Amino acid sequence: MKRLADAVFETVYWSLVTLFIAFSVIPVVVAVVLSFDARSYVGPFPPTQFSLRWYDRFLADSYYHDGLVTSLLLATGATAIATVIGALAAIGLHHARFKGKGLIQAALLSPLVIPNVVLGFGVLVFASRLGILDGMTRLLMGHVLITFPYVMRTTAASLVGIRASYHEAALSLGAGPWGALWQVTLPLARTGIIAGAVFGFVTSFDDVGVSLFLTDAFTFTLPVAILAQMRANLDLTIAALSVMFIVATVLIIVLLDRLAGLDAITGRGVYGR
Amino acid sequence: MIQSVLDLQHVTKRFGATAAVDNATFEVARGEIVALLGPSGCGKTTTLRMIAGFEQPDEGRIFISGTDVARKAPYERNVGLVFQDYALFPHMSVAQNIAFGMKNRGVPRKEIGARIATVLEQVRLPGIEARRPAELSGGQQQRVALARALVTRPDIMLLDEPLSNLDAKLRLQLRHEIRAILSTFHCTSIIVTHDQEEAMGLADRIVLMNKGRIEQIDTPVGLYQRPQTLFAADFIGHANWIPGRLARRAADAGVVETKVGGIAVAPGAMADGPVTLCIRPERLALMAQDAPADTRLAAVVERLDPVGADLRIWSRLRDGTLVQSLEKNVGRDLPAPGADVTLGFRIADCIVLPAEGTAP
Repeated sequence: MKRLADAVFETVYWSLVTLFIAFSVIPVVVAVVLSFDARSYVGPFPPTQFSLRWYDRFLADSYYHDGLVTSLLLATGATAIATVIGALAAIGLHHARFKGKGLIQAALLSPLVIPNVVLGFGVLVFASRLGILDGMTRLLMGHVLITFPYVMRTTAASLVGIRASYHEAALSLGAGPWGALWQVTLPLARTGIIAGAVFGFVTSFDDVGVSLFLTDAFTFTLPVAILAQMRANLDLTIAALSVMFIVATVLIIVLLDRLAGLDAITGRGVYGR
Repeated sequence: MIQSVLDLQHVTKRFGATAAVDNATFEVARGEIVALLGPSGCGKTTTLRMIAGFEQPDEGRIFISGTDVARKAPYERNVGLVFQDYALFPHMSVAQNIAFGMKNRGVPRKEIGARIATVLEQVRLPGIEARRPAELSGGQQQRVALARALVTRPDIMLLDEPLSNLDAKLRLQLRHEIRAILSTFHCTSIIVTHDQEEAMGLADRIVLMNKGRIEQIDTPVGLYQRPQTLFAADFIGHANWIPGRLARRAADAGVVETKVGGIAVAPGAMADGPVTLCIRPERLALMAQDAPADTRLAAVVERLDPVGADLRIWSRLRDGTLVQSLEKNVGRDLPAPGADVTLGFRIADCIVLPAEGTAP
C-alpha cells in the first residue's frame, strides 16, 4: 500500500517537474529557433530555412537602437539612484525604534504590489503638476520608484543576518555612527545591496507598464519600442531581440559569478560561513 | 586613597515600568577585576551596556577615570569590549580587526603594524595576522577579541559572558589564560557572568546582583563565607537552611529557637526575631555522639551521593528537614542509609541571615 502511494506520488512529482521545465523552456526554444527563420513572414513552426536576416534588421533599425540606448541609460541611472536610496532606507529602518515604523516600511515597499499601470499614471500626473514634461526625467522618476523597493528589500534581508554586536563592537572601538556604517555595516550588507541592484536593473530594463505612460515622442525604452513595433507590423525582429536579451542575461550572470560569486548574491552572505 | 577607574553612583535604568537596574552603586579600583554575577535578568548585562554606552541610565552617574560619561556615546568613551559572540568582523582579517580600533582612535599608521604583532604575541597567537575569524577556533577568536579590545589601551575592559560559548574543558583553561592576559595589561576589568565558578576564578571582587539590585559586594571568599542575604547564600554554593527565631542573650551571643531545638549563634548585627540559619555542607560534620561540637543535631541518613573526591550525605533531621553534608571520600567507614547519626557544627560555621521577606 505504502509502495503504491510512493509510486503515485513520485510519478505525479516528476510529471509536474517535467511539465514545469517544459513550460518555461519551450517558449525560449521557439523564440531562438524562430529568430533564425529565413521566411519573411511569421509562418508555422518549425521554419523551413534559416538565416540571420532578423538580426540584420534589428541592428539596422535605428528605432530599436534608440530604445536600447534609452533603456540602458535609464536602467543604469535608476539603479544607481535606487541603490543609494534603498540601502540607506533599509539601514535607517533597521536601526529605527519608533511607532509607525512598520507603516513607513510598508509605504516604501508598496511599489512592489501596486500595479505598474497605476504607478505610471500616478507619476505622469505628478510630473505634469510639477511641470516636468521631459521624457527622460519622468522615466527616471518612475523607474527609481519601481527599482528601489528591491534594493530596500534585499538590503533589509541581509541586515537581519548581521549580528547587532558587530555594530556595537565598531562603536566601542571608537568608530562613530557613520564610521561604523561605512566600515562594518555596508561591507557586510554588500551582497544584499548588489543583489537588489541587479534585480532593480533587470526590473527597470524589463518594464513596460510604468514606461508606457512616461515616454514621449523622442524618449522611449526598448520594451515600449517592441510593443509599438508589434502593433504596427509583427515580424520576427522581436525573436532576434529576445535571443540577444537571453545572451546578455547569461553574460551578466557569468560576470557576476566571477566578480562576487553567485552564491553570495542569491542568499548565503559573507557572514556566518 | 585608591583611585577608582569606574564609579557608578545610584544608577537606575527602567524599561517600561520595571527597573532593570535599580540604584546600583559600586566602584572599581585601578587594575582590579570585578565580576558582575547574577541569574539571567538580574540587570548585570544592562549595567555593562550602560558602562559601555549602549544604554543611558535614567538616573545616577557613571564616572570613568573621573569623567561623568553617562550621557556620552560609546565611541566617546575609552572602553574596551569583548562580546559574548566575540563580534569579530567577518569581512576583515585578524590584523584588520585589531587595527580597527587603532585607526578609529587615531593611532599613527606606522605604529599600527608593530602594535598588532606585539598584542598577538601577548595573547599567545603570533603570526595569525592574515587569517579570517572564520578560520579560527572558538578559543582563538576569544583571544583575538581580547587583543582587539586591549590594543587601544582602554581605561576599562568589559567582558560579557566571555566563556559561555566554549565547552567545559576549554573554559577552565581559558579562564586562567584570560586572567593572565588581563594582568599582563594591568587592565581594570569588569566581567559579566551568570556562572559563579567563573566569577570566583576570575575576579578579585564580585558584585552579586538580583532583580536589578546589588545584593552584596565582596571578595569571592567573603561572599561564600559571609553571605548577607538568603539570595547570596543560596546563589553561591550549596547550603542547608534552618528557619527559627533569634533571641539575643549577650552582645554577640544568642539562641535561635528552631523545630530541632535551640541553636547557639553569634548573631552579629541581626535583630531579634525570625531568622534563617545557613550552614554550608562541608561545615556540617558527621561525628561520634560524644565528640565536642557547639551544636549537635540528631538525624537519619537517607542517601549517599558520590561527587568525585567527596561524598554528599543526605540526612533527615527530626522535624523532617533534609540536610546535606560533605565528607571527604577517603575510605573511612560511613553510615548506611537508615542509620542514626549525629551532625555537628561550630558557632562560627552557622551563618545567621534575615528570614525570607524581611529586610536585612
